[in-house]
Amino acid sequence: MIELRDVSKFFDQTPAVEALTLSIPKGKFCALVGTSGCGKSTTLRMINRLLTHTRGQIELDGQSIDAYDPVLLRRRIGYVIQNTGLFPHWNVARNIGLVPRLLKWPTAQVNQRVEELMALLGLPVNEFAHKYPHQLSGGQAQRVGVARALAADPDILLMDEPFGALDPITREKLQEMLMQLQARLHKTIVFVTHDMDEALRLADKLVVMRDGRIVQQGTPLSLLQKPSDAFVDSLLGGLERGLKQASLTRVKDHMVPPGAHLAAPRVTTEQTLRQALSLMLRDQCERLTVVDPQDEPVGELSLDRLVKEAFHPKERPRDD
Amino acid sequence: MTRPVHPGSAYQPTQLLWPMMWLVLLVVVVLVIPHAQGLFQWLAPEAREVIYQRAAFTQLLGRHLLVVGAAALMTITLGVLAGVVVTRQWGRDFLPLVAQVASLGQTFPPVAVLALAVPALGFGTVPIIVALVLYGLLPIVRNTIAGLKGVDPAVVSAAYGMGMTPGQILRQVELPLAAPVILAGIRTSVTINIATAALGATVGASNLGDPIIAGIVNANNAYIVQGAMVIALLAVSVDSMFEVFQRRLRSRTP
Repeated sequence: MIELRDVSKFFDQTPAVEALTLSIPKGKFCALVGTSGCGKSTTLRMINRLLTHTRGQIELDGQSIDAYDPVLLRRRIGYVIQNTGLFPHWNVARNIGLVPRLLKWPTAQVNQRVEELMALLGLPVNEFAHKYPHQLSGGQAQRVGVARALAADPDILLMDEPFGALDPITREKLQEMLMQLQARLHKTIVFVTHDMDEALRLADKLVVMRDGRIVQQGTPLSLLQKPSDAFVDSLLGGLERGLKQASLTRVKDHMVPPGAHLAAPRVTTEQTLRQALSLMLRDQCERLTVVDPQDEPVGELSLDRLVKEAFHPKERPRDD
Repeated sequence: MTRPVHPGSAYQPTQLLWPMMWLVLLVVVVLVIPHAQGLFQWLAPEAREVIYQRAAFTQLLGRHLLVVGAAALMTITLGVLAGVVVTRQWGRDFLPLVAQVASLGQTFPPVAVLALAVPALGFGTVPIIVALVLYGLLPIVRNTIAGLKGVDPAVVSAAYGMGMTPGQILRQVELPLAAPVILAGIRTSVTINIATAALGATVGASNLGDPIIAGIVNANNAYIVQGAMVIALLAVSVDSMFEVFQRRLRSRTP
């Protein structure tokens, strides 16, 4: 549980964050979104006291962060940054083991934890443990960055545009990986990004910031349905909002039992309404057969139904 | 955790070839000079004595090394310390001052430092060490500052974010990453000072400068060549040792 109450940060006389109140429940994924300079990174860096807030209260599990020694506080909070910040003169294993060693874990335990994390992040120990950061691809390096942040099993993970420097394909892979990790680990994550699609995809809670203030917060769906003003609307894609909403909903939540006559084009239950719509446009049809992962027909979806249902989703796709 | 294996830093005996050769040559020359009367007679046909006799060359070499070594130790300690202080948050105000003092030290001719130091410190090795420290400070201070400032700010920021203390960041992150640049400064400083130390002969610090000064005073080219040869070989030997050290360091910090 992270609680910010009326928090402001001034650099000299210039406000970077003003009167920000935000509550992030335990185990939830909160994305801070906004254009550059809106104060989202500043907000993040106040939580682990890399920056000191000028006014207001920041609490972790009901305890003010001012009560902690900043160094000890940071060892309890995972931190991932855009350009990884891996130590170039340390190999992968040593980089990952940093915080456990700072916490004076016995060597055997550190080594065991490092191997555990490398397995968790899909980095084979034999291949990667002794490599140096400059020998890794961007995606591999950021996996190491995430592993390092998770090493001492912190409850909270702060991520400052972690995938911002990666190519779109790698970015998508790491987003997928992060979603799977979160489904298992249930960390409280604060994730800063300027990529709205990334935020919509990952977040339980979306916070839109502008000029150091929160413009709107809520679930991705609630923002898509009711953006509070033109700024949020444009950030959410304006006319594309409908498609983004469709991409948050899965076919299985809107299909009906299959009729006697099966349409030729097929979608799987796990695909999104957006993908289904795209398929209809591509194949110039109004009906799709829905199949399960074993390719057995389990339902059907019509354009008519898709258009009417997309705005009344029954379930968030991430909550399965 | 076991010490990491660095690709490309495997021990290569050939790396040591050049410094070893220069060292052997230095030792051979020091040992041969006293017996090379014929050769040096040819350099100074007029002179009655052609081999510098007032002290053995091994002894002069030893004293020379001692002076340069003592000065290097002080210069490195002072220079790196100053460079570290002015790159800290709390020491930033001193950056212009330290940079200026260091460049002043180098622009001020060592001869002038000697002239000023002798009345205060007397004759002997102390004034020459002072002169060498002042003269050698700039490259070390400058490179320490450049090296520390060259460390990727994202790395330092991550180090803070992980919960390292400023001391841990300096020792485990900043200094190791800046080491190749700092070492380059030390190399320049020490190599220059091997030659500059010869000036000590003018204020009674007996070292490899003695034969040179004696040669100038007595118009004896043979003495000058003997002193200069040994100093040059010493400088080249030490410089090539630094070269090896630097290459090994660079292979482990990409």
